[in-house]
Amino acid sequence: MAQAFAMEIPKSILATLNNLYEIEKKLALHGDAGNAKRNIDKMKDIFAEMGVFYDDPMGQEFKETRTDLDATISGSGTDNLVVVEVIKPIIRAGDAAFSKVVQRGIVVLESREGSNEK
Amino acid sequence: MSKTINFGIDLGTTNSLIAKFEKGHVEVFKNPNGFKETLPSVVAFRNDRIMVGDQARTYAEKDPKGVASRFKRKMGTTETIKLTAGSKTPVELSAFVLKELKNFVHSGEQIDAAVLTIPASFDTVQSNATKEAGLAAGFKQVILLQEPIAASLAYANKEKGIDLRNSQWMVYDLGGGTFDVALVKIVEGELTVVDHEGDNYLGGSDFDALLVEKVIVPEICRRGNFGDLLAQMKSEKGKYNKLWYRLLHAAEAAKIELSTKTSAEIDLGMVSLEDEDGKPVDSLLTLTRSEFEDVIKSAIDGTAEMMKKILTRNSLRPDDLKFVLMVGGGAYIPFVRKRIEELMGISVNTSIDPTNAIAVGAAWFAGTKEIGAVEKTASPKNSRNLKIRAVYNKNTQETEEIFTAKFEGDVAGLFYRIASEDGSFDSGLKALAARISEDLPLREGAYNLFKFAVLDSGNNPVDVGFDAIQIAQGRYSVAGQMLPEDLCLVVDDVANKDTRLKRVFAKNGVLPAKSKGSVEVAKTIVKGSDDEIRIMVVEGPSERHSSTNKPIGVLLISGKQINRDLIRGTEIDLTFEVSESRDLTISAYLNGTGQEFSQVFKGTARQVDTKMLATDVLQLESKIQSEIDEAEANGNADAAQGLEKLLSQVQGLIAECGALSHDDVTDDRFKLEDKKRKVAQDVFELTASKRVDAAKTAYFEAKSEVAALVSDHGNDREKHLFREIVAREQTFVNSSNPERIEAATSEIERIRFAILMRMPDFLVGMFEHLAQSSHSMNDQLQARQLIEAGKRHVAAQDWEDLKKVNGRLWGLMPADARESDDMRLYTGIV
Repeated sequence: MAQAFAMEIPKSILATLNNLYEIEKKLALHGDAGNAKRNIDKMKDIFAEMGVFYDDPMGQEFKETRTDLDATISGSGTDNLVVVEVIKPIIRAGDAAFSKVVQRGIVVLESREGSNEK
Repeated sequence: MSKTINFGIDLGTTNSLIAKFEKGHVEVFKNPNGFKETLPSVVAFRNDRIMVGDQARTYAEKDPKGVASRFKRKMGTTETIKLTAGSKTPVELSAFVLKELKNFVHSGEQIDAAVLTIPASFDTVQSNATKEAGLAAGFKQVILLQEPIAASLAYANKEKGIDLRNSQWMVYDLGGGTFDVALVKIVEGELTVVDHEGDNYLGGSDFDALLVEKVIVPEICRRGNFGDLLAQMKSEKGKYNKLWYRLLHAAEAAKIELSTKTSAEIDLGMVSLEDEDGKPVDSLLTLTRSEFEDVIKSAIDGTAEMMKKILTRNSLRPDDLKFVLMVGGGAYIPFVRKRIEELMGISVNTSIDPTNAIAVGAAWFAGTKEIGAVEKTASPKNSRNLKIRAVYNKNTQETEEIFTAKFEGDVAGLFYRIASEDGSFDSGLKALAARISEDLPLREGAYNLFKFAVLDSGNNPVDVGFDAIQIAQGRYSVAGQMLPEDLCLVVDDVANKDTRLKRVFAKNGVLPAKSKGSVEVAKTIVKGSDDEIRIMVVEGPSERHSSTNKPIGVLLISGKQINRDLIRGTEIDLTFEVSESRDLTISAYLNGTGQEFSQVFKGTARQVDTKMLATDVLQLESKIQSEIDEAEANGNADAAQGLEKLLSQVQGLIAECGALSHDDVTDDRFKLEDKKRKVAQDVFELTASKRVDAAKTAYFEAKSEVAALVSDHGNDREKHLFREIVAREQTFVNSSNPERIEAATSEIERIRFAILMRMPDFLVGMFEHLAQSSHSMNDQLQARQLIEAGKRHVAAQDWEDLKKVNGRLWGLMPADARESDDMRLYTGIV
């Protein structure tokens, strides 16, 4: 539906947040010997103070009414979909009380029933 | 009221766009969800809702019974698309797309007429069907325009000086999923499509798949034992099915990157890629532009063949054509431009935006077409006497709430739609019934705002006197404990030789709450010494001075507690937690020593340290003294008089403090603390607006000075930065927070400095100033050499090198005496 205004965040900030998210995921996956997570969290806090932050939709349920995700379905089922891969996180602008989606998350979905991987 | 149509719509096979002509300009509207200009031409019917665009596209491949796409190619046929929701004609489906595009128009104006584009290949029946779709979407007047003509119009309006009379050209449109090429010519003063060719199944998404199949997968297979990886990826049940989609996204991103670079990296480091033997595979792949070009070469050559056919059929030679105008995403690929130029021997023109050129051209055309004698119906007022009664919880702890509404009146043929204001939820169109209900997902701890609309069959809103749903989730529940005042951290304000407050929790936040932040150590704390830093939290308005607010807790870290020196500038990460019973926990992690300190302050027990109280009172006295001096200097007699009174009160307090023993067990210190706070509040009130006013004045001065500089000498980036600061001016100027105003001023100053540093006059002036100050420089010999070099650069007008000399001379200037050392730091953190 038509909205009063569109909030646009500079691409450079979105790109930085996307990379921050990737770093966070890589550290979680490959180990974080130097405790870089602390720095990542701090950078996230700095961005949150500026009014932009990201949400990781990994593992969340997907419904057809969701418009904060740009999704592709993997596997054969289309019911009981959950997010199984996140290519880009959801980026929001605002604060905890009210924020708007400024970048949809790019994700791959899979039906819980049709899941072929643990 | 405009009498021209103005709205142009590119009703595409894969994507659609809407644009408007207004006062000589064309604006392409963006989807309020996701801000893209394009709307996928996909319609889904799932669980009694109708969804259009990105939401629908998600299910396009996997639910062909519920989702319709690429129906444009069936326009004008008797074929219907069989869906579980019933059979739909291509006209009906196109109408849904058109109706959805109306939502892009943020002004909310009603669109009665539009220009719709059609492919050159459309015959009369197909064209009429498109017109019918426009009427079904609620337009009262529809004018059709061929896509190659629209693209040519976009070009002609961009390059106004160009003369296209007596010439002909080709429009090459390689889109997301289709390819069209047309020969366009001016016949008797009118743009006409003379001939055309096309392929309904060739486009950018095919190139992505080719990259995955021919380049990326073979490379992954070389790195590990995968068996038939491609089959495993493409099969729905395959082990690597998820990877297929991830690689398609990666290939698309690489394809875009390869338009500007000669190589692109695909980084799959976020997924753990293991081969069949469970061995991890190196997940960084490099794609080169030439690999990509090899992959798409035969497809591009195929398009050139089609162009040649057109030439042959029309007995034309390549040099009879003025140029090839490229539109569609394919125009971004350098190889496509180069290859077509090479194979055809005709220059390729890419001066218009390939994505929106057709919609833009349609809008230019619409701006010249008068609205016909369309009966202007009044906007659909609620002629049906619809009454709504909505029921829902306005406050909830749940993450989902049911919204129900009852309608009285005639609901036949109407729809409703609920969409969240934050862009995360859209119910799609649903048929209106006497009773409706919808599950609304809620964001935790936030205000959730939804728009509610009743719509007629043309997607025009019907006023029912109810258009917004507001639900506060979790923390706004009135049942929760709330903070009565701001909680703030006290930090030193070195520049003003004072302290200032940093808000940690805002007033009315619901408990429990947690917050993080970091501060810097303002002075070095030597291991083993009695020096300490104070992490002090006070309760009260954050725009006030710390001394006016009630201390809640102080975490002291002294030199005796640390395992090595804490160097000035080291960061301290702080975590603050307030429990439901208002207990405050302060935790500090010292990045320099790796130590963590934590203390809980009970909401009930008041903390007043007699030593600190004495310091506070002394500091308050000197503050009042300096305020008096300032007020007198400014001739502000009233304020000075008021402050004098407070000064005598404070002097009384100093005496009382002196009488207090360190381990005083009476409640005297609490009484004293209250008195001190009262005096401090009075001081604050007498001087409140001073700093904000000063900060505002400084900001506006800097702004007006830098504005001229930026407009005359700034580059695009600086202009953009400056505009951006000015655009958000209202937010900080009205904030009553001097820090925020000062931050904006310093951003402006940075821009000023960056520009000045490019200006010869400034560089010479700076050099002369430094040369004059050379006597106090640290290394006299080097200073002399640099000054000689600088003079030569000035003579030779070598500004780049002069800038370097200035930088080095600056480095020789004695470091300023450390301001913070003169000051008695209060907290030791900044």
